[in-house]
Amino acid sequence: MKRVVVDPVTRIEGHLRVEIKVDEGTGKVEDALSSGTAWRGLELVMNDRDPRDAWAYIQRICGVCTTAHALASLRSVEDALGITIPKNANYIRNIMAASQTVQDHVIHFYHLHALDWVSPVEALKADPIATANLQNTVLSTYKLPFAGPAGINTEAYPKDFPQATPQYFATVKQKIQGIVESGQLGIFAAQWWDHPDYQLLAPEVHLLAVAHYLEMLDKQRELVTPHVIFGGKNPHPHYVVGGMPCSISMEDGNAPINSARLAIVDRAINTARTLVNNFYLPDLLAIGTAYVKAGYVDGGGLAKERVLGFGAYPIEPFTGTTNGGFHEGLLVRCNGVVENFAQGLGKATFYEFKPQDIADPAVLGESIQHSWYEYPGKDGESLHPWSGVTKAKFTGPKTGTQSSWKELNEEGKYSWLKTPTWCGKMAEVGPLARYIIIYTKARKNVLGQPTWAEQLMLDQIDAVSKVLNLAPEVWMPTMVGRTAVRGLEAQLAAEISKFFFDKLITNIKSGDTKVANTEKWEPGRWPKEAHGVGLYEAPRGALSHWIVIKDGKIANYQAIVPTTWNACPRDDKAGHGAYEMAMMDTKVKVPDKPLEILKVIRSFDPCMACATHLFNAKGEKIKVVTTDPYTGTRVDD
Amino acid sequence: MDKRESMWDVYLKKGMSRRSFIKGCVALTSIMGLSTDMLSKVVEAAESKPLPVVIWLHGHECTGCDESFIRSGAPLASDVVLNSISLEYDHLLSAACGEPFEAHLEETIQKYAGQYILAVEGAVATKDNGIYCMTGGRPFIQTLQHAAKNAAAIIAYGSCAVSGGIQAAEPNPTGSSGIAHYTGTKTVVNVPGCPPIPEVMTGVIMHLALFGNLPPLDNEGRPKQFYGNRVHDTCYRRPFFDAGMFAEDYDDKGAKAGWCLYKLGCRGPETYNACGNMRWYQGMSYPVQSGAPCIGCSDAHFWDHAPFSARLPKYGPFGDVDKIGVAIAGTMAAGIAAHGAVSIVQKKKLRAEKDRIQAEKQGKKVEK
Repeated sequence: MKRVVVDPVTRIEGHLRVEIKVDEGTGKVEDALSSGTAWRGLELVMNDRDPRDAWAYIQRICGVCTTAHALASLRSVEDALGITIPKNANYIRNIMAASQTVQDHVIHFYHLHALDWVSPVEALKADPIATANLQNTVLSTYKLPFAGPAGINTEAYPKDFPQATPQYFATVKQKIQGIVESGQLGIFAAQWWDHPDYQLLAPEVHLLAVAHYLEMLDKQRELVTPHVIFGGKNPHPHYVVGGMPCSISMEDGNAPINSARLAIVDRAINTARTLVNNFYLPDLLAIGTAYVKAGYVDGGGLAKERVLGFGAYPIEPFTGTTNGGFHEGLLVRCNGVVENFAQGLGKATFYEFKPQDIADPAVLGESIQHSWYEYPGKDGESLHPWSGVTKAKFTGPKTGTQSSWKELNEEGKYSWLKTPTWCGKMAEVGPLARYIIIYTKARKNVLGQPTWAEQLMLDQIDAVSKVLNLAPEVWMPTMVGRTAVRGLEAQLAAEISKFFFDKLITNIKSGDTKVANTEKWEPGRWPKEAHGVGLYEAPRGALSHWIVIKDGKIANYQAIVPTTWNACPRDDKAGHGAYEMAMMDTKVKVPDKPLEILKVIRSFDPCMACATHLFNAKGEKIKVVTTDPYTGTRVDD
Repeated sequence: MDKRESMWDVYLKKGMSRRSFIKGCVALTSIMGLSTDMLSKVVEAAESKPLPVVIWLHGHECTGCDESFIRSGAPLASDVVLNSISLEYDHLLSAACGEPFEAHLEETIQKYAGQYILAVEGAVATKDNGIYCMTGGRPFIQTLQHAAKNAAAIIAYGSCAVSGGIQAAEPNPTGSSGIAHYTGTKTVVNVPGCPPIPEVMTGVIMHLALFGNLPPLDNEGRPKQFYGNRVHDTCYRRPFFDAGMFAEDYDDKGAKAGWCLYKLGCRGPETYNACGNMRWYQGMSYPVQSGAPCIGCSDAHFWDHAPFSARLPKYGPFGDVDKIGVAIAGTMAAGIAAHGAVSIVQKKKLRAEKDRIQAEKQGKKVEK
């Protein structure tokens, strides 16, 4: 048995470490641990601040899934204060959410995940003519012909087709050759390029993918243009409690939003739809099919047993979340839990996540048995996010010192992440969870009439099942499935952007230009004490923000984020989290170069800064002596 | 591997024409805010200087700065990362991970001692010996100090690396701080912002790459070409401030007409950044243009100058429009005096500012 440590795990957001115990003979991973190795304490920072500023602070949890935390935060504050946002603001926020999802998924596939599948070294063996032919084949074989109910078609023809000329691929190959020969490999340095998995695909696939890596690196910026128009910048666009700051007027050249500004958004949405349809999905399906046909159907882990979602995209403004308003009119009703999906629909079970579950400590809770925190009661207890307690308790590693780790202690505490549970059980979240939930609900006849978006999801699943010639319960809960469904969701999200853009135009046309509801802007109009929750489906999965407002200030702020659900440490009762389960469901060929482990971890699209902030701030201020907080920057303890 | 290539060498090797090389230099000249007569110097620098090695470290951060960097429109991300620099270590983009990646970091630090650029994103966690930010099994503070020792130049990217950022806001649970006190005596180029504007980020690195020296810095270590103006001074809504025309509420008549956001808490008057002139996405917008007041994200410790709806809280409750200019001009003068280098341009600027305030006092009634 060999213990292998990978730290830092790169091409992710933040600081993650994994350790595995692998049987060198069989390649079986006997045990695995996942550890968030940084802790920023952001919820402590939220204490006593103005709730109207919460979105700005908490958005800084993460700059990769920027906007996700801002939107969840706004929902929590608006839920607590009983604010309903105007129609235009709802449509704009949905466009921002969906366009961020597309951009995030594109970046993940091409820039964070692709180098686990393809190698620039292999690309050097490719024939440019064969690669051009391959491009044509891929585009004609693997396109998924789905679209939403686009009402106003503003694009004469799709603008961004992949280049399929030998000259183009020869140029890219030459470029890679130059980098390799210079010896300055830059971002390509020190990877395990000799790993046998890189032999799985033909050299032409490698060249095609590397070419698209470069193209998408330059194109991804265009996908979040709607943030720049509506929120002034990206990353970290601006918002306002009660709606959006971007006033709409067709009567003034200085107005934040007018016809010309909307045209820029329209162009970006069309670009997103085309890039996903012509690059992302064909590339993804070509590579995924090759892997599945080579027998790679492992890495499912917890997805086979339990997935969780909260529901996404309110079609119209809603009156609140705790009162059930949020769940009444969703475009994607993935609110619930599916258990045992991998055993087939007959044995799979679905539980709806209902509004009354929100405040129920028996449904949602967090424990800290293996986290570097302590509870006033027992370590094993689980606390609801509205009433949790957190106090840091760093216990160091099993071997090595506190500031020079060798191995972490899986029997004790080993991560800055807490362990969230649903009804005392672990659950995986993310695009895969959302698709499994919608599919199970539909096939078990509990979905009702599918919305156009849900129907699109079902059609996508059927189409991919046909391409792979496998049932959804076989291909979906796997490493490849997790990555593939993320691509499907990018297509869905691009269509959702278009859907809400059309609604926005129609509404403005009807004469409604309101974007902000400031009736309850002044704290004097707020209740003395209020609780709120914001539910949101972030690119990486189900996200919830929890706020307690007292006397006009934040008395408690917590967030349970997707990567915490997935990357959390084990719990003695609930078992392992999704990362650990997935690693234990993955075979390793070369223990010293566990590429398969990195691949399965990255199939989740880890976002550690999201996961490793402080989870509760109930009066637990940590004493810090600041020598000179404003004129200098040195801080000592 | 020992031969260090210049940008021109790379263009040659990659079979690109002299014409495209010059075009690249023209683009760089303009993004660095240099006048066109500087083009020959840019060309000269690009021809002769080898590709600079860059080590990019991540401390306590959100990766928003790295994300902003790759949003750059000119130069494009691929051109920077593959043609202008050799990015040897970066947690977001590097292919490698774990032990071989850490070994590569050490190899780069030794091999290119005194030659590489150290770019740092994120704050340094100092409390309890730095155990709140561990990477590669050791505290980030150690990695930072080690990598700083052999660096030719250090760039602090973003408000976290410059002044601690969000995690350093009260009560600063992890003792987070800007990096400058932990990197020795070397000058740190401060590029604040949450995040900084993409083309500002790439512009700074291109300056170092092409000229082989630090861009001219102000007394806070910020490149003057990007941080020499207040957002207020370059704001397209400035005429409305001067005319006393303000949005009083989100989405009111003034907001729809694009009037000044000062009364909604805009921090433009005290914030040095390029949002007003360069804007985001190559001139497309910035928060004020999208109707959102500036929150002063390039200001040190701006997170503790909340609530953001308050008018310039540093200058007293409901900051007096007449006095703000004077107070800010005073701060600026003190800063410049401390640095001991008052440039003619700045003197002129100060005088103009004072004149303007004087004129407002005497003549025009400024609405509060």
